[in-house]
Amino acid sequence: MKKRFAMLLMVALLVVVTALSGCSSSKGSSSSSGVSKNPVSGRSNELVVGVDGDPHSWDPIATFLLAWSNVANSVFEGLVNRDNNLKIHPALATSWKYINKNTLQFKLRKGVKFQDGEPFNAAAVKFTFDRLLGPEGKKGPQQANYTSIDHVQIIDNNTVNFILKQPDPVLITKLAGYGAVIVPPKYIKQHGAQYFANHPIGTGPYKMTSYKKDNQVVLEKNKYYWKSGEPKIGKVVFRIIPDPSTRLADFQTGAIDIMKTVQVSQAATVKKLKYATLMQASTPTVYSLRFNVKKSPVNHVKVRQAINYAIDKKAIIDKVLNGYGKEISTYQSTLSFGNNPNLKPYPYDPAKAKKLLASAGVKNGTSLDMFISGSDATFKEVAQTVSAYLQQVGLKVNIHTVDGSTLTSKLTPTGKAGQFYQMGWGGWTLDFDNTAYLLYSKGQFWNPDFYDPQVEKLLAAERSTVDQTKRQKIFMQLTQKLYNDVPEVNLFQTVALYAVNNRVVGFAPPHDDRINLAQSSLKK
Amino acid sequence: MSEAAIQKNDRPAKIKSKKNKVLIFFIKLIRNPSALIGSLLVLTAIGCALFAPFIAPYNPEKINLIERLAPPSWVDPNSPYLLGGDPIGRDLLSRIIYGARVSLLVGISGVVLSSIFGVILGLIAGFFRGWLDELIMRIADIQLAFPFILFAIVVMSILGSGIWKIIIILGLTYWVGFARIVRGQTMSLKETEYIQAAYVVGSNNFKIIMKHVLPNVFSSILVLSTLYIAEFILLEAALTFLGLGSDPTIPSWGGMLADSRNYLSTAWWTATFPGIAIMLTVMGFNLLGDWLRDELDPNIQI
Repeated sequence: MKKRFAMLLMVALLVVVTALSGCSSSKGSSSSSGVSKNPVSGRSNELVVGVDGDPHSWDPIATFLLAWSNVANSVFEGLVNRDNNLKIHPALATSWKYINKNTLQFKLRKGVKFQDGEPFNAAAVKFTFDRLLGPEGKKGPQQANYTSIDHVQIIDNNTVNFILKQPDPVLITKLAGYGAVIVPPKYIKQHGAQYFANHPIGTGPYKMTSYKKDNQVVLEKNKYYWKSGEPKIGKVVFRIIPDPSTRLADFQTGAIDIMKTVQVSQAATVKKLKYATLMQASTPTVYSLRFNVKKSPVNHVKVRQAINYAIDKKAIIDKVLNGYGKEISTYQSTLSFGNNPNLKPYPYDPAKAKKLLASAGVKNGTSLDMFISGSDATFKEVAQTVSAYLQQVGLKVNIHTVDGSTLTSKLTPTGKAGQFYQMGWGGWTLDFDNTAYLLYSKGQFWNPDFYDPQVEKLLAAERSTVDQTKRQKIFMQLTQKLYNDVPEVNLFQTVALYAVNNRVVGFAPPHDDRINLAQSSLKK
Repeated sequence: MSEAAIQKNDRPAKIKSKKNKVLIFFIKLIRNPSALIGSLLVLTAIGCALFAPFIAPYNPEKINLIERLAPPSWVDPNSPYLLGGDPIGRDLLSRIIYGARVSLLVGISGVVLSSIFGVILGLIAGFFRGWLDELIMRIADIQLAFPFILFAIVVMSILGSGIWKIIIILGLTYWVGFARIVRGQTMSLKETEYIQAAYVVGSNNFKIIMKHVLPNVFSSILVLSTLYIAEFILLEAALTFLGLGSDPTIPSWGGMLADSRNYLSTAWWTATFPGIAIMLTVMGFNLLGDWLRDELDPNIQI
């Protein structure tokens, strides 16, 4: 009896499954009410943003994570600020000029207060940079970006001079960076750095009122904010939801208003939602397959070129990424200074690839190891497509999926990630200097194998001048050299996708993950 | 005809030859509907695994970006694929057929490995007792207290991922089930008269274990094996789903599920069919295992 009942149950289950799948195929799932009715209710002047990571410390000198800037961009401000069009604007400074080659003078904005009421002045700027450049800053990753600054000199309460050790062509851009946001001296001296890392105070439009690790961050309107009429929203909650499927589910049920990092594969789902808009912004992040140029057979430049010719990058962008990506010739985006417009991405030419492989003496069926992050579903599809292209020119690729952070922090720096591996790189200064130096200069953390004397010479030359036309020229030589050497196959420049509920007004997706909510408001 | 009637007519006690015994066994299997369905499902999976190159309509690794997420051909007549295409345009049906190889390989090799460990340790513990028994059973207790997925993630982040590593991890954790059953039965067998008699006629321990104990615990091992294969197939799917499985170009059901997670609302077929494949195969092994238990040894507690 019992068994018969179980059997019946199973058959019933099968029927239900089949019926369900039949249903969705005949009707198409767009007719259901789930896509048209706005699911958000009960949050009048509160915005919830779903982000993908928690930086674990809000101290600006201790971080280099994009996850930090998602939230901290609302809490902190620098002397200058980069807007959504990536232009530099005055923020806490009102104007600046070079007094001489190594002295940069800033006039500071008057009447600005930190979120706890402490006044912002020249002393705060000096404190911030003393801290960044001193022993405390040494412990974090930010100091290295600001080594061209020797010290900050107070002229009067609203004027400071930056005394430089050497000219730094990217300094103004860097002052909009994470490490250079201004921090409150009295507050930090009173509470200590440990407390500050969990209870940050800045001059930005929102004040952090609560932070639960790996869970959520609550921001409330900064009543002292210097820009009149901003911010418009009373309360902003950042919920930390690392898994993209969960994030999307939360968006669809109305638990969050803005979803950061919509996966390419989820874009179609978001587009169907009538109460939401899929927004996109090009980013400086480039995804590449980087070679370990010491390993055979990719130590041979012809083999690296052949691999570049063998991969149809355009098809990958159009089909696998559904068009959410841009072709790219070198390891920097078109958004960045030093991008070489004359270089075109290696065209898809399998015949040429085969010829190059043959002339390099690579046998048909040679196998290569590729390491990718197992949790990155989109790149997994890209990697498999690449493997199929390489198979067509006679290379066999073994794809190893490993934990993402193990790949970037352990395997890549030690040269243990096979012949080639996945690498995404941002280049946050939007100047090729940052990328080129960290990735091609000998002995850098993420460069265990590449060395070229000419590249070293060009890098040194580029750093020794602030003359942008000269630097542009050097970068043209450098990019040409790297283009020929193929230390990596540049697959695509990414597009950041945001799902935004239509009740949010005035939100513009950032190019650089620095979410700006000061001008956003909510429909009642 | 009812079950009872067959049993009355063909009482195994009456049968002398081994061949007849096997035949009776099969007749019983066929007459029992759940066992029949179970064995058919299992045979289908095994058939797919063995003859994949002949059955599969396409190369499971052949990427065709134009047919990316193509719907099943009975939904969209323009689609070349019967069950649709996956996110990079490979034929789902072919991948499901080839995927049986990974699932069965993991299921069967995992069981072979864990049963070898488990049976040997169980025999030693149950037969010799004493401090050896204590030691083995305490290790088993510790093993049981450790969450499997956590153990797998830790081991795989040290050793790297891959099918064979999954199999070894399964072997190293699931021997406990075999060891416990074998130990219990060995302990009671040891007290039976015929084993006492074997001692009296001068058989040594090894001979007694191999000739008298092992054959008597074999049916329990078989039942447990069948049920464990089902469990291992699910675990392999779970581990691959977590990104700890094999090379993503090698078709595996769990991997297919993981890859299609983001397409649930736009391309339902990508997750549905691999899911059904897992469900049917696991159900097949479970039905067969349940019937084997009832048939061979209704008293064992599994």
